[in-house]
Parts: sequence; C-alpha cells; structure tokens
Amino acid sequence: MSDAKPERVYCPVCLARFKFQEGWKEGSTVTCPICGQKLTLRRTPEGWVGDRPDKGTEKEIRERAEAYARLKGYVFNEMKEEILQGLLGKNRRFGDFYCPCRMEHTPEFQCPCKPTRGGDVDRNGKCYCGFFWKSQ
Amino acid sequence: MKEKPKVYALSTCPYCKRTKRFLEEHKIVYDCVDVDLLADNKQDEALEEVEKLTGRRSFPVVIIGKEIIVGHDEDKLRKALKL
Ligand SMILES: [Zn+2]
Repeated sequence: MSDAKPERVYCPVCLARFKFQEGWKEGSTVTCPICGQKLTLRRTPEGWVGDRPDKGTEKEIRERAEAYARLKGYVFNEMKEEILQGLLGKNRRFGDFYCPCRMEHTPEFQCPCKPTRGGDVDRNGKCYCGFFWKSQ
Repeated sequence: MKEKPKVYALSTCPYCKRTKRFLEEHKIVYDCVDVDLLADNKQDEALEEVEKLTGRRSFPVVIIGKEIIVGHDEDKLRKALKL
C-alpha cells in the first residue's frame, strides 16, 4: 500500500498537470493529453515539467493543432491554412500562439484556448476562430 | 457613397483579411483600423467604439453608412455596397 500521490507533469501551454505514465523518464518526448503539445520531460525540484522542443516554430503549432484535433476527434476546414498564418502572426507580434481572432494575449488564450478545452467545440460545433470543428 | 466604409479588424484574423480583400477586389476605398496594432490608449478607444456599435468585441466590423456588419459576410457587404 502506498499513499504516494501519482506523479504529474506540468504543461507550459495549457498550464495543467497530467498524469506521469510508466516508462517515461528524463528526456522522454510525450504529448500533453489536454492540449496536444509535444513535450520533453525534465525533472525539477518541484516535479516533472515538459519543455517545448520546437517552441515558437511553425512546426510546433502545426503539430499541436493536429495532435489536439486527433485527441478530440475534431476536424479542420478550408480556413485551416489561413488560421495557421494568423497564429504565426500572433507569435511574431505578441510572443506566442494566441487565438488569431481575439484581442487577448494571455496564457488562457493560447491555442487551443481555454474555452475550446472547456468544450466550446462540442457545444457550438466550432471554436471561436473556426479552427477546430466538431466532425459530422 | 458619401462616407468611406470603415473596417475595424485584427491584423492576424483571416476573416478580416477576407473582408479587406473583398473590398479591394471591388475597388472600394475604405478606412481600416487594425485594432491589435494600435498603441494602448488608441486601442482602448477603438475597442470601446466597436463595443458601442456591436455590443461585443468581435472582428471584422464594417460600417457602411448606417449599416454595421459583424464578421466576414459577402452577401451583406454586397447588399450594403449595392454591388
Ligand atoms: Zn497541455
């Protein structure tokens, strides 16, 4: 019997902590099950954190969006590439991949934004920017 | 048309880009404000204006005479511009 709490990994994109899985170790590449971000595991005195190996690159936001859509069973439409360009513009001008159709530049509006992670797509059929869509 | 149409947009928003492109393709001369690129005090003013006009902070907003169009909507643009 162990009363040790399961270890968790901090995701710097969605700011959540997800469960550490067996077989993972320092330097492992994993995907955040909440936002789809690819992370490299690092142990710190405060616990496991994930680093963003391709931080701020087109590769990063493409992979994150694809992984998030896969996790949730969402799809894209013909606006996908234009929205990705908007996300890249946000990163260039405002420092990270914030919703291209919003004015807010705070962590909760990092794509996929908090309202999206909170179920907006399931409720409304799409996210605020029309990037992620519920599949028919 | 007496007054030039006015567009409130975000520089990164693809729907705003489509609205601007539509106006340009139809040779419409318009004023445009990219709200996200304004300095802080100007930005607050523009956001207040958008909220006063539309009740929300959603982009693009196109003002054509008395007509206010929120979102990229080519049918509404055509109608308001009598294209
Ligand atoms: Zn995450």
